[in-house]
Amino acid sequence: MSAEDLVTGEGQATGRPRTPVEGKASRERLLWRFRIVRLVRPGRVPDDSPAGDESAVRRRLGFSFWLAVVWLLIMAFVAAFAPLLPVADPTKVAFGGPREPPSLDAWFGTDALGRDVFSRTLHGARISLAVGGFAIVFGMVVGGGLGILGGYFRGRLDQAVGFVFFVLLSFPALVLAILITATLERSMLVVSLTIGILAVAPVGLLARASTLVFAEREFVSAARVLGAKPGRIIVRELLPNVVIPMGALTLLGMAVAVVAEGSLAFLGLSVAGEDAISWGKMIVDGAGLRDLQNATHVTMFPVAVMFVTVLSLNFAGDRIRQYFDVKELAF
Amino acid sequence: MAGTGHAQLRDHDDVLLRVKDLVVQFPAGRRRVVHAVSEVSFDVAEGETLGIVGESGCGKSTVARAIIRLVDITGGEVLYEGRDLAGLEGEDLRRVRPRLQMIFQDPISSLNPRRRVRDVIAEGLAVWGDDIGSWSRDRIDELMDAVGVEARYGARRPHEFSGGQCQRIGIARALALDPKVLICDEPVSALDVSIQAQILNLLQDMKRRYGLTVLFISHDLSVVKNVSDRIVVMYLGKVCEIGSTIEIYSRPAHPYTRALLASIPEPAPTVDIEEGDIGDELPSATAPPSGCRFHTRCPRATDICREVEPVSEQIGDADHYVACHHPVEVEISAR
Amino acid sequence: MMAEQDATGAPLLSVRDLHVRFPTERGTVNAVNGVSFDLHEGKTLAIVGESGSGKSVTAKTLMNLLPRTAQVSGEVTYDGQDVQALAEAGTKHFFGVQMTMVFQDPMTSLNPVKKVGEQIAETLRYHLGRSRIEALEEAEELLDVVGMPEPARRLKQYPHELSGGLRQRVVIAMALACQPRLLIADEPTTAVDVTVQKHLLDLLDRLRRDRGMSMILITHDLGVAHGRADDVAVMYAGRLVEVADARTLFFDMRHPYTEALLRSIPRIDDPVHHRLDPIPGRPPELINPPDACAFAPRCIYAQGDCLGGVPELSGLVGLHRFACLHPTGTERGMAAMAANRAAGVTAAGLPVAGGHGGSG
Repeated sequence: MSAEDLVTGEGQATGRPRTPVEGKASRERLLWRFRIVRLVRPGRVPDDSPAGDESAVRRRLGFSFWLAVVWLLIMAFVAAFAPLLPVADPTKVAFGGPREPPSLDAWFGTDALGRDVFSRTLHGARISLAVGGFAIVFGMVVGGGLGILGGYFRGRLDQAVGFVFFVLLSFPALVLAILITATLERSMLVVSLTIGILAVAPVGLLARASTLVFAEREFVSAARVLGAKPGRIIVRELLPNVVIPMGALTLLGMAVAVVAEGSLAFLGLSVAGEDAISWGKMIVDGAGLRDLQNATHVTMFPVAVMFVTVLSLNFAGDRIRQYFDVKELAF
Repeated sequence: MAGTGHAQLRDHDDVLLRVKDLVVQFPAGRRRVVHAVSEVSFDVAEGETLGIVGESGCGKSTVARAIIRLVDITGGEVLYEGRDLAGLEGEDLRRVRPRLQMIFQDPISSLNPRRRVRDVIAEGLAVWGDDIGSWSRDRIDELMDAVGVEARYGARRPHEFSGGQCQRIGIARALALDPKVLICDEPVSALDVSIQAQILNLLQDMKRRYGLTVLFISHDLSVVKNVSDRIVVMYLGKVCEIGSTIEIYSRPAHPYTRALLASIPEPAPTVDIEEGDIGDELPSATAPPSGCRFHTRCPRATDICREVEPVSEQIGDADHYVACHHPVEVEISAR
Repeated sequence: MMAEQDATGAPLLSVRDLHVRFPTERGTVNAVNGVSFDLHEGKTLAIVGESGSGKSVTAKTLMNLLPRTAQVSGEVTYDGQDVQALAEAGTKHFFGVQMTMVFQDPMTSLNPVKKVGEQIAETLRYHLGRSRIEALEEAEELLDVVGMPEPARRLKQYPHELSGGLRQRVVIAMALACQPRLLIADEPTTAVDVTVQKHLLDLLDRLRRDRGMSMILITHDLGVAHGRADDVAVMYAGRLVEVADARTLFFDMRHPYTEALLRSIPRIDDPVHHRLDPIPGRPPELINPPDACAFAPRCIYAQGDCLGGVPELSGLVGLHRFACLHPTGTERGMAAMAANRAAGVTAAGLPVAGGHGGSG
């Protein structure tokens, strides 16, 4: 590695304070420098060294990352197998008395209708995570696909895609969500799609931006010169590069989507039906003034679980982004 | 100079690539265009190495990219084995692509960071339908061996290699499809001094081994002299001087060629060091100067240079053509 | 001239046993290892090396421009003062005034949203306390000095309106503003074309002579060092491997790396299709370097003792110094080469062809 790269800090000859540099080229240069200064290069292959000596210098994701992952795995497991778990029926009214504090029978206490909050929280993971996950996957596929196509082909297609994105971004998100959920039947699919549509533009803009960057790179020119068709170039050359920053965004986006479901629930627009339990709906259930004063546990437990889940998603997503950021730029 | 004309085009049967009156323009907003390449003509014989030399902004890289159709051609012809590449589109264009391959300046940018180097080298074969069978696996091993990258490192990704190694990988990728023409766009200028010679020697070896015709683009006059049989000197989108390498370096006729030769840190003995004292400022390519495009910086410029664009003419009966109203050689012989 | 008499006296800049290390997650990068040199008033020292050789780090260390993570040891004395102490004391009018630097990329030192005249004037006002009007007048003079065409008009232009060569002239004008005694030019012409390069080097040469400045010219281009420098220092893997006056270095070099480097580059007076003599292998890693001559794996002279420890730079500062146990052009060197040819391989395992082109 070159030691010079380590010191490409902003030197300047005259002792004046430096102001931020403008212009695309300069910005990229600064960004580049900043990244180089903090990155660690995986070992290069010395001519005479045995292969495979660079695994020792792999970056670590860290203990807290794995802690977050463990929590998310538990949540995923709970969501998948909630009906099979040995917990009370979450819809059973008067499982205990109304608004009972946490006890050995009902770990998280009971709500106003005497339903088991612990059981309901576990079951709530199903809809909250499913809506969050489905929404962000929809955003990724549709937004990411449009963004890559626009970024690679440029021209008219790009203009059209950009127009769609800006319309989506300019339209008040809440109004759109209310419009859709109020006019259509509030099934899980509709709620997920609603949030997914809102995810299309931000994800798409990111995909478009990173496609633009990579499409300028010479390896794309090299693929064209070899005779690769556009489809192959997009799939083989661009997608692997664009998917990494997007992939890291998945977890961050999912966190946003989980919160968004909660917000819709507050407006009474989350998935309809008594047996459709979500964290958002549980929080609303316990959000009456009396409940908040006398039976805080009814809201606090779902809030806490949602909070830790969203925190884990954000944290893990951010760590993954950093991890790949470094690897990607580690030339 | 900096002029037009076809005197330099040869009539041989073995001319493999002929560029005639090539024009490339890019839109520059507000209805202006960048005249990147303007009526450039030259040809390359089979097995020859043609060097294109000039400073940044002279259009040398654009010529290369136009030939290989990475940029759109505004006008003119690019005849390869008698077919005009300028008019080809879609599948027809794709079918000739394997014949002309390219080596890029930045070895790191030209390799996909997410792919293993073996896949990078095999990409051409994969595109053309060889499903990495045993035949092509041998081919990849042979190529990696030829360019000096150990086959056992094939599963690694580009960032694990140095710049010089990456350039070797880029060369192997270009050679995989058995091209006739190899276009090298500043292939060593991003490399360390001690690595440049390795890559230059490798290119010579590959040329011999695979019977290549090479177009070598560089700003470095010493490097171009080392590799080329024939040289084109370009300035601001125009050809100044064309000729055999020996002619160009021993009897540079165009004032711009002479300025270049006088400017390098250890100047060529054929020119006076003062000839390097041309102005700093390259005129804008959106509004190039009238007449000879070099007249704004040329120490020999007269009125005719400002008005009339010079046409290339042969000097004596040598393989040497210059587009200049006042070529240096002529004056010396007149004296 | 003052420069002449000082050349024998105390040096303007004296660097002793400079070490620079960067801790990274992969280990400590030994960027500069024990560099010592002197620079006398009015002289030009070229530091030549490839990327990673530590030449730029050395320059940035002198200018106190390293990131905070860098671990620096050694002694840098400027005109009898300890530079490190000056840096720690936060001396305002030293860096950029007494000692100043020009970078490869002029945009590193220019603010893109300010007119160039304002930028030069700002330096004058900050360091020398000039009024705005005075400073602008002086800025115009400075632009004239650096050979800027139409200086009055250029004052009102933004950096992006200038070509690369003209921008570099602005940077040089800024560097000159406070009449520095030492100018460090870090690859000042790498980003510009050869015709512009010649002008810039001519300009730096002229300014140095007119103003009796000293200059450190950092470059990877041996051709640039040749003819522009009084002394040349060759760096490899963070160490000085050879230091000599330019003539000696180019025509009577002792270090095999210097010799191999000069032989590997194509030259304009070489014949067409001249087979180049590349240096095999590549520069070494700077993390955990082995206790051996860093060039040994690529060196055709390498013997067993080259692998047994890092050779010291011989001789006194100011004389021809080289760090090699089997220097080229000496009997030891010739014996080493002959032994390697006979064996067909060097002590470091590099194959050597029997009929390899003669020694220097």
